[in-house]
Amino acid sequence: MRYVLLIAWREFVETIKTRGFWIGILLFPALIVLGVLVPRLIEKKGIPTRHFVMVDRTGTLAPVIRTALAERELRRQEEALVEFARTAKYQEPFSYFVSSNRVLDLPGWKQSAGTNWLGVRGFVAPKPRFAEVPLPEGVRDEGSLETVAEALRPWLRGDRKLTSAAGEAALFAAVLIPTNLAELAARPNPAGTNVTAGLQYWSENLADTALLEAVQTPVNAELRRRAYEGRGLDAALVRGIEQTRAPVVSLNPKKAVGEEQVGLSDRLRQWLPSAFVYLLWIAIFSVAQMLLTSVIEEKSNRIIEVLLSSVTPGELMLGKLLGIAAAGLTMLATWIAGMLLVIAWKAAGVTPEQAAAAGAMANLPLDVAAILRTTWLLPAFVMYFLLGYLLYAGLIIALGSTCNTIKEAQSFMSVIIVFLMVPLFTMTFIPRDPNGTLATALSWIPPYTPFVMMNRMTADPPLRDVIGTLFLLVAFTGFVLWGAGRVFRIGILRTGQPPKLVELLRWLRKP
Amino acid sequence: MHTPALELREVTKTYGAFTAVDRLSLSVPAGCVYGFLGPNGAGKTTTLRMILEIIRPTQGTISVLGSPSALAVRRRIGYLPEEKGLYKKMRAWSVIAYFATLKGMSPAVATRRAHELLERYGLKDFADARTEALSKGMGQKVQVLAAVAHDPEFVILDEPFSGLDPVNQTVMEDIITDLRARGRTVIFSTHVMAHAERLCDRLVIIARGRKLFDGTPAEARGTLPRRVRLALEAGGEPAADLPGVLGRVQLPDGQWELQLGEGADPQAVLAACFARQIRLRSFSAEEATLHDVFVKLVGPDATEARFR
Repeated sequence: MRYVLLIAWREFVETIKTRGFWIGILLFPALIVLGVLVPRLIEKKGIPTRHFVMVDRTGTLAPVIRTALAERELRRQEEALVEFARTAKYQEPFSYFVSSNRVLDLPGWKQSAGTNWLGVRGFVAPKPRFAEVPLPEGVRDEGSLETVAEALRPWLRGDRKLTSAAGEAALFAAVLIPTNLAELAARPNPAGTNVTAGLQYWSENLADTALLEAVQTPVNAELRRRAYEGRGLDAALVRGIEQTRAPVVSLNPKKAVGEEQVGLSDRLRQWLPSAFVYLLWIAIFSVAQMLLTSVIEEKSNRIIEVLLSSVTPGELMLGKLLGIAAAGLTMLATWIAGMLLVIAWKAAGVTPEQAAAAGAMANLPLDVAAILRTTWLLPAFVMYFLLGYLLYAGLIIALGSTCNTIKEAQSFMSVIIVFLMVPLFTMTFIPRDPNGTLATALSWIPPYTPFVMMNRMTADPPLRDVIGTLFLLVAFTGFVLWGAGRVFRIGILRTGQPPKLVELLRWLRKP
Repeated sequence: MHTPALELREVTKTYGAFTAVDRLSLSVPAGCVYGFLGPNGAGKTTTLRMILEIIRPTQGTISVLGSPSALAVRRRIGYLPEEKGLYKKMRAWSVIAYFATLKGMSPAVATRRAHELLERYGLKDFADARTEALSKGMGQKVQVLAAVAHDPEFVILDEPFSGLDPVNQTVMEDIITDLRARGRTVIFSTHVMAHAERLCDRLVIIARGRKLFDGTPAEARGTLPRRVRLALEAGGEPAADLPGVLGRVQLPDGQWELQLGEGADPQAVLAACFARQIRLRSFSAEEATLHDVFVKLVGPDATEARFR
């Protein structure tokens, strides 16, 4: 055992010294942070103001569109102001209107501050999303819309830039509205069919459809309003009726009377295991890479001979498995500890009343903390991680021992990767029907047990499934490790071609 | 007499139909430097691996330091494998210390010892270098030091000289001489007869898995007839009936080489020349070299080895 620990310690120290380990440990949280921050940043800064021209031959729709766009812009500014009020250190101008958890009472604020309500010190109003510009010099609103479009082409293609006092800008789009748009309107809208005439939206950019939507929505609303009025209906009444909703309360029969209401916390309870499955998957995966590199290094350098003159192949294999498991667990523990720290930090000092006032999302850390405290999720995760790790690591170390180069090992790895894709694919279905046929069947396949059972953990799976699959998983993992020991013993000293499957099976039977 | 450091009895290793080692028996006395000579593919490395219990013999028994299992006495054995390699990212001292701890040394003692050895063999400045930054010769020295860091009684070196420049070959010879001076048993395999000639107390020559010779270098040389080389002042042929002479060959430079029968004395040949008043320009009694013994014993198998 002393030698096993010596080997494990070296593996651990050498692994955590590699650059790959630190990239791995930082990459995952970095990806999550980036995944949250980047869209926000893009929203804030990234998308430039879109300049467009509008030619309205009906003479009545353009004002409707302009009003709608202006309202939209105002809403964006208000949202920005609310966010500013929530996060800004300088609270004074808001002091009457910001509640204890920094929620701005916008209508009150607007009413009291009058028209100057955007002029708060330190607040920078967001750039407008869209800006209508007059037709460029030399293009006139004359002749057919096709003629106008033809004249606009150089600007729309980016060959020419709009010039104004503020500088140059690209023309993003042109909105051309034909005189007879109202007659062209179809009911129901033949979406996706080949429309040849209608509101013309000219733009090179097919990906950013925000402007088109911002134009389409008020036009549709306006056309509907006119249609109602044309038939003598009160448009405001119709709109009011259209907003009718039947209230729905989600209730959970498993909960005590009076607490049946399904909240965010219950939904989390079903989805949190998926997060753990991801973690397990990533951990097994990165650990597998470390293990493979380490085995192949010793084999290709022939250090293995020196090692085998000092320790038995079994001790060597066990040492490597332990050492690299320790490295993998360190990585995982860092992630989980980081997550818990953030949760604790966010949840600290927030009373349930405050949390409720701040809305469901602010409650998230508290909910996660509560779930981790009250369920078996964390201990189950550690157990399934260890078993899953040993199972896959055993397979990988055995196969790795038969290869001489990383390249040879990659072909083995690709098989394992395909195999490992299944729990990832099924992960979204399992929480929907955690005790269904698919989930139950997959649970009984030992290599999938850690993933699938983890996924089912919060859905109270039948005890028979929990204990049965666990027993099977332990037995199977034991078998894999035993077989791995046999293959490792022979494979590690072998040079030349990796063995065929039949040969591997023969090694298993060899005493 | 002490128990031998190593004893092999009728050891055979087969891989399928191929016999790598064929009924090999050996006895290596404690405290001697023992050479393992043989052409490529002779079964030297296989034998050494079996001695170390890295692989098991198909048949026969091996006893190392009195134990049937090398792993049981692994702390007392040091091993340098044929193909040299080190952990690339580890530092020289830590590799040595690591292998020493695997042989049972405590980490603190192993670290101290690693630094001592590196200093003694001129690698002090490279103690903190990653092994991937070392030259081939330095890397190999580090590996040898790693093999002997735990001060083993019994050291097995597989091709310790290959890939070393003459200066480092001398250092390697020094390491082996030092080990002998402290009473350690050393087995090393080599292709280069000069090293064997200088270092070995005893040697074995194997080819195709079989033992061809086992004994001291002097005994090895004794297996070949002695030779006398002479040049006649007047030219011409030496008489064929000189005492003990079995045959004669004229060398390209005009000298004659006479092969002597077993037990024949070169002095008797010289005396006979004087007696017959044959005037000599030069006369030398040549000892057969290990190289000759090797070539003769191994024959065609050695063709490859000779060019190394």
